[in-house]
Amino acid sequence: MSSADTSPTAAAPVTVPAPLPLQRPDPRSPASDHEPDEPGAPRIRLPRLGLRARVTLAFAIGALLLSMGMSLLVLGVARSNLVSNRESGATQQIYFNARIVRSGVNPDADISQLLGSLQTPEGSRPVLFQRSQQVEGQDGSGWSQQDPEYGRDALPAALRETVLGGTPAKMRFPHPTTGEKSLAIGIPIRDFDGAYFEIISLESLDETLSSISFTLFGASIATVLAGAALGWYASRRILRPLGEVGDAARKLAGGELDTRIQALVDPDLEPIITSFNGMARTLEDRIEKDAQFSSDVSHELRSPLMTLQASLEVLQNNRDDLNERAQSALDLLAADLDRFRELVEDLLEMSRFDAGVMLLELQEVLFTEFVRQVVRANGSHVPVERSPDMVVDEEFGDVITALDKRRVARVLTNLLTNADKYGDGAVAVRIDADEDWVWIYVDDAGEGVPEEDRDRIFERFNRASAANRRGASTGVGLGLALVAEHVRLHGGRVWVEDAPGSGARFAVELPRVEIDHDALDTAPA
Amino acid sequence: MATRILTVEDDERIRTAVKLALEDEGWTVAEADTGEAALEVFQRAPTDVVLIDIMLPGIDGFEVCRSVRRISDVPIVMVTARADTHDVVAGLEAGADDYLTKPFAPKELSARIRALLRRTRAADHGHTHLRFGDLEIIPDEGVVKREEDEVHLTKTEFRLLNELASSPGRVFSREVLLERVWGYGYFGDGRLVDVHIRRLRTKIEADPANPRHVVTVRGLGYKLQA
Repeated sequence: MSSADTSPTAAAPVTVPAPLPLQRPDPRSPASDHEPDEPGAPRIRLPRLGLRARVTLAFAIGALLLSMGMSLLVLGVARSNLVSNRESGATQQIYFNARIVRSGVNPDADISQLLGSLQTPEGSRPVLFQRSQQVEGQDGSGWSQQDPEYGRDALPAALRETVLGGTPAKMRFPHPTTGEKSLAIGIPIRDFDGAYFEIISLESLDETLSSISFTLFGASIATVLAGAALGWYASRRILRPLGEVGDAARKLAGGELDTRIQALVDPDLEPIITSFNGMARTLEDRIEKDAQFSSDVSHELRSPLMTLQASLEVLQNNRDDLNERAQSALDLLAADLDRFRELVEDLLEMSRFDAGVMLLELQEVLFTEFVRQVVRANGSHVPVERSPDMVVDEEFGDVITALDKRRVARVLTNLLTNADKYGDGAVAVRIDADEDWVWIYVDDAGEGVPEEDRDRIFERFNRASAANRRGASTGVGLGLALVAEHVRLHGGRVWVEDAPGSGARFAVELPRVEIDHDALDTAPA
Repeated sequence: MATRILTVEDDERIRTAVKLALEDEGWTVAEADTGEAALEVFQRAPTDVVLIDIMLPGIDGFEVCRSVRRISDVPIVMVTARADTHDVVAGLEAGADDYLTKPFAPKELSARIRALLRRTRAADHGHTHLRFGDLEIIPDEGVVKREEDEVHLTKTEFRLLNELASSPGRVFSREVLLERVWGYGYFGDGRLVDVHIRRLRTKIEADPANPRHVVTVRGLGYKLQA
């Protein structure tokens, strides 16, 4: 009922999602070609990243933006602070120096010595203008400086005019010849009608700023990396429960139907875990129901068969009392009851495989001996040959392996029956073993199995076409399918190939298993 | 006196058909359609072999098995629907000596019954008194003593112990034990041996989890030692 309840709501508004592209879209063709039904502007299709990669990328980009913003802010504040510090420091110094110059300037004074004696901060050059020293028509006269590069010509004309006009001023400018960032401050000195300037290089400030920005850049990289690492870690934390879900699903698929995910403390993951466990429970119920059905059918079919078989035996015990016609009928009845019983057994066995409720009853056997016994029990006189390089147990001189005797006996019996029915009889049973595997090969004298039938032959009710051509009508066609199922349950493989010479070779590969008897013996039932 | 077999089966047609087939073997067959009726019949008349279908209305076959086992060591064959379920082991644990799966041929059942009825071949080894440490076996009398106290074994358990005691120290494979004790060939169910060994150990070993006498031999079987 539950599926019927949900289906209308699920069907109405939700469009069927297109299957995920298994390959990346062809870069040569635009993405819109693939999705003509997608409305709106064509989107740029990025390569499909995993959730983890996307979270990591998002964290990294976030960290990058954040650290860049912080760096620019820090850099701006640092620059304005440094510049204003420098300016105010330089301004104080220049007033101090201007006083010295004012008192030191007289006609006898050595101007360059005076300028040299001034205490100027590093990168600061004094420039002095004395109108009294100006010579008419001689450009640059009246100016004194220590470094010809930092003289009158280095000062911006606007600043010169303002200061010589009687107003102290400062100005930032690029040095006309060297291009270095500079600050010039000028103070008019009325005592001798001149002005005192200092040209201060701001290059060292720039160096400081660039070293700060370099540090900030490094910090940004570190932040981005840390962000990416955090994203990677966080996404791993997020994805870990999904991994658990995956593991649980794998176990379920492997037949551990009671698998459940442990409730986690995280409330955000509660819904997914609840629904997963719900699904597992439903699955378990369904399979249990199937198994129960199979078991019920089994019981229902077995009971009448039991009666038939017992009654038949009573009739057979008293066969001599019957007339000839009744005896023939009895023989027919006996033969087909056998067939019917086998068919029911096979069908039930198959239904149990489908229900996934099979148990492997492993028991250790001497492998060669076991195969010989099965062949003999089938009334067959086919030779059982051991491979000369078979890896045997030293003590027993035979391969010891654990297998489900009933199932492997069925496998071998079905293969021998198959050889009799479709392959003109088995000619040899060969066995081999290495440390990890054991093999049984059943060779027959028939025409072999054509390539195209070699997989199909193990499907249900699917006799090889060659057999059909021969018009064989006996057998149900479940024999080889059951062989495949029994072998698969052991974790082995079965296949058909050409036998050496002619005919078909059916090969069964089973894992070589050791079991711990003491563990089995003491285990509770 | 004719061998008397009690069949416990709720399906009347099966019961009748099996009865007819067993009577062809010359045995007397008593019938019961429920577990309760079976216990009543069992207590009223001596019985040589009990055949119990596990799926019964009312008290199930396992319970009937246990109830019979509490008062008697009569051989019990149980009938299960399938061979690959825990029913088999559970039935053996409940005290059954052997099992068959439906539908079985009555001839197969007769063979099982004959094997269970076969008397212990005490004459085979000619010992009258065997001693293994604190364990004492008197085959002729069918008596086993541990520290001088008599231990009660079922017929099958006794035959199993006796078989192991026939060659102390020799390793008996499951197949050999199946053949000698149950009359099976190579295709008998090894679980018969394992469960009976387990039951035997709980009775004759001081510490069944660490058996001293009935020892598992890695490889293929069991042996008895002092």
